[in-house]
Amino acid sequence: MSIQAKPLHSVGVRMKRKEDPRFIQGKGNYVDDLSFPGMLYLSLVRSTYPHAEIKSIDISEAMKVPGVKAVITGKDLEAAGLGWLPTFHGFDKQMVLAIGKVLFQYQEVAAVFAETRAAAVDGAEAVQVDYAPLPVVADPFTSKTDKVLLRPDRESKTNHIFHWEVGDKDGTARAMASSPKRIKQRLWFQRCHPAPLEPCGCVAYFDTMGRLQFHVTSQAPHVYRTALSLVTGIPEDKIHVISPDLGGGFGNKVPVYPGYVCAIVGALKIGRPVKWIETRTENLTSTGFARDYHMDVEIGATADGKVTALHVATTADHGAFDAAADPTKYPAGIFGIVTGSYAFPVAHAEVDAYFTNKAPGGIAYRCSFRVTEASYAIERGMDILADELGMDAVELRKKNFIPKDQFPYPSALGFTYDSGDYHKTLDVALETIGYSALLKEQAEKRARGELMGIGFSTFTEAVGAGPSKHFDILGIKMFDSAEIRIHPTGAGIVRTGAKSQGQGHETTWAQVVAEELGLDPQTIMVEEGDTDTAPYGLGTYASRSTPVAGAAIVMAARRIREKARKIAAHLLEVGEADVEWTDYKFQVKGVPSKTVTMKEVAFAAYTNMAQIEPGLEATYYYDPPNMTYPNGAYVSVVDVDRETGETKVRRFVAIDDCGVVINPMIVEGQVHGGLTEGFAMAFIQEIQYDAEGNNLNTNFTDYLVPTSLETPHWETGNTVTPSPHHPMGAKGVGESPNVGSPAAFVNAVIDALSPLGVRHIDMPLSRDKVWRAIRDAEAKKAKQA
Amino acid sequence: MNLQYTGEEKIPASLDKVWAFVTDPQKVGRCFPDVVDVAVQDATHFEAIVKVGVGPVRGKFKMKVELVPADSKRRIDMKMSGGGFGSTVDLTSGADIVDAGDGTTLLKWRGQAEARGPVAAVGGRVLDAQAEKLIAQAFGNVRQQLTA
Repeated sequence: MSIQAKPLHSVGVRMKRKEDPRFIQGKGNYVDDLSFPGMLYLSLVRSTYPHAEIKSIDISEAMKVPGVKAVITGKDLEAAGLGWLPTFHGFDKQMVLAIGKVLFQYQEVAAVFAETRAAAVDGAEAVQVDYAPLPVVADPFTSKTDKVLLRPDRESKTNHIFHWEVGDKDGTARAMASSPKRIKQRLWFQRCHPAPLEPCGCVAYFDTMGRLQFHVTSQAPHVYRTALSLVTGIPEDKIHVISPDLGGGFGNKVPVYPGYVCAIVGALKIGRPVKWIETRTENLTSTGFARDYHMDVEIGATADGKVTALHVATTADHGAFDAAADPTKYPAGIFGIVTGSYAFPVAHAEVDAYFTNKAPGGIAYRCSFRVTEASYAIERGMDILADELGMDAVELRKKNFIPKDQFPYPSALGFTYDSGDYHKTLDVALETIGYSALLKEQAEKRARGELMGIGFSTFTEAVGAGPSKHFDILGIKMFDSAEIRIHPTGAGIVRTGAKSQGQGHETTWAQVVAEELGLDPQTIMVEEGDTDTAPYGLGTYASRSTPVAGAAIVMAARRIREKARKIAAHLLEVGEADVEWTDYKFQVKGVPSKTVTMKEVAFAAYTNMAQIEPGLEATYYYDPPNMTYPNGAYVSVVDVDRETGETKVRRFVAIDDCGVVINPMIVEGQVHGGLTEGFAMAFIQEIQYDAEGNNLNTNFTDYLVPTSLETPHWETGNTVTPSPHHPMGAKGVGESPNVGSPAAFVNAVIDALSPLGVRHIDMPLSRDKVWRAIRDAEAKKAKQA
Repeated sequence: MNLQYTGEEKIPASLDKVWAFVTDPQKVGRCFPDVVDVAVQDATHFEAIVKVGVGPVRGKFKMKVELVPADSKRRIDMKMSGGGFGSTVDLTSGADIVDAGDGTTLLKWRGQAEARGPVAAVGGRVLDAQAEKLIAQAFGNVRQQLTA
């Protein structure tokens, strides 16, 4: 009936991103671009003390500042029943504005509403807060002693938040004790911050119907709507959450922050729209940090390098409130993935979390909850074991990889790995980087006293949380959803419960729908982030988009195909059973000349549907049967200047197996971005606190973001083992490079320093730290000589 | 961050004269470097507004000051706290006052500063030297005022 001019396949195509023309022309629509008549600005008074009693708050001077309309404090909110908000982990609550005392520096103390942003800041400056300092607990090991109780508001009078463990404790201890070789090392994954270029912010107002219109930088708009309804008591139908374009999220935009609640309260109290936009300092000092895990890693092995047991005991610093935004049953997230790509017969992992006088958080910074920490632990641990055994790090890894014929593989800590071919992926990486030549070069350099290192990370992550029997946030199961409508002309719209923050959903989802329905991806529009139009979903983080929402799109498209088949049968004048979907169109079985396209079916669905229900649309809520397990083999080559401690990443090869690739160009872009973040954590980024609880990295001159000058050249590639637990075989990739790369960098630097006897340095591997390690090692050697 | 300093001033005046000076809020307040205003509340309490410039942090700090004289005329402690633009400084300083016997008086002082907020974040680089200079200058000003 029609001739297709070009092949219709859309998946696997390097299609240019549909969103880019507006982004690269500065035409994105971000929250701070919004303006409404009569809009006020909110500025927050923040604590200068990390731990102090609030003796008094005097707002009289602030109210005299021209333009200031109102000031609210914790007491005002408490009186309205809004003093505290539940954290997304569900077992703790967080002060909206400080009540009685402050628990971390830069904590929100009062909210000032004014006609202009400048007046709001001036007003905040004029609020006088009288503090009586209390003893400060600046690290989790001090917190452990309970000498200073930080949270008397809680029922249990201890700073210990939770103990979580998984695996066979006794079996692991026995296996460890009888292992001929053992290593034990404390590894600290330092406190980092996702630092999206667009900080957090919102505009709140109540429309003429009394309905809350809430524009916000949220990675999970539907969860916000439900949480806001639960916190404020506003019926959920009276809340409209709109998440416009986001300038990055990386987990920072998952939790609900005090600024949001204050903006809503201000809008309600004053009756005008209120805008709140964080400054960079506020973003770095108060909204969701990541990591801060002190991990004691212990690995047992046979003398010839077969791993026998893994034990990891972690002390976690959660800050002043337990706001880690983890699934309810997983207070330490998916840390159980710590056995990595290796066939450990037995393992035991435990995490103890503590309150400190630091900003709350522990969010999943571009990783499934706590997976970056876990991957770093096992990948560093394997290198330390190789060093102990005097074995090549590659040989040790290959010896212990889960063999490809054992997938789906049940791990010692309870995960079912979907698919993978770890040997092959590593071999591709070795070949790409030219491993044997590098080893030769390294031997020559070492003979000359030069420091060159080759570092590996062969990680496996678990993403796409997750199956409803295990995963929920605030009780809401972690499914996701898609709704597809095909218009009469064969164009269409797809909406999902996910929310792009730069991942390229507008392109990727169009490709998926086009692939499933044989349509043109350029005429499939993608809309996300509006709770009035999108089906309910849990949002985008933990690499959920492709594994969960992407799967929902596939399933919704297949529902449309089933409906379309009926219409096709009517058009082809045969029974439905005689119609098959082949080569992106419907065809009468065995009669290749009798076909009808989806475009024709779409038109018929509105014009010539006979007895069939008109229209062509479908919704699907996808409850994943399993998580997906992207993996990769990363290799870095680093030269270290022996005199200055300067490190230079000379090469970096990243081979990723993210299953079926939807858009190779977007995957490359994702890998480039994540590697750059991994590079930053490995070498330059840390949110530091001094012993008095002062945050020392409060802006981009102290918290460094690599520019194109510092960033190494990335060499990327793929292997593909389709996931059997995803309808398209895709696994997700956005987080792999952030998860996998830190260990590859650190392993390379330590490999470079190993001739000096250096076994470990905690990140970030700044020049001064590396320089000091070299000097200390040389001094030690000189002493021994 | 926590910083500590010590120093000594030799003042060509009697112990009584020095004591009268250091226990007078109006006079002590005027010895702060870059002081803009002093508002005395009572014999031992006053507020001072001082100009501050630490790295990128520039503006006026409002400090609450409490003088704690020891009856023996041998020692006076001073507690200051305050700040501005999101930063706080707590200063405790004390001076032992010693009659040198030759008509001069020794002011042996020590100071401790605790800074918080943006001021502390830049502290490692510039605050230390700055704070020491300010405290030393304050005691230096006491000597100058009494010498004049």
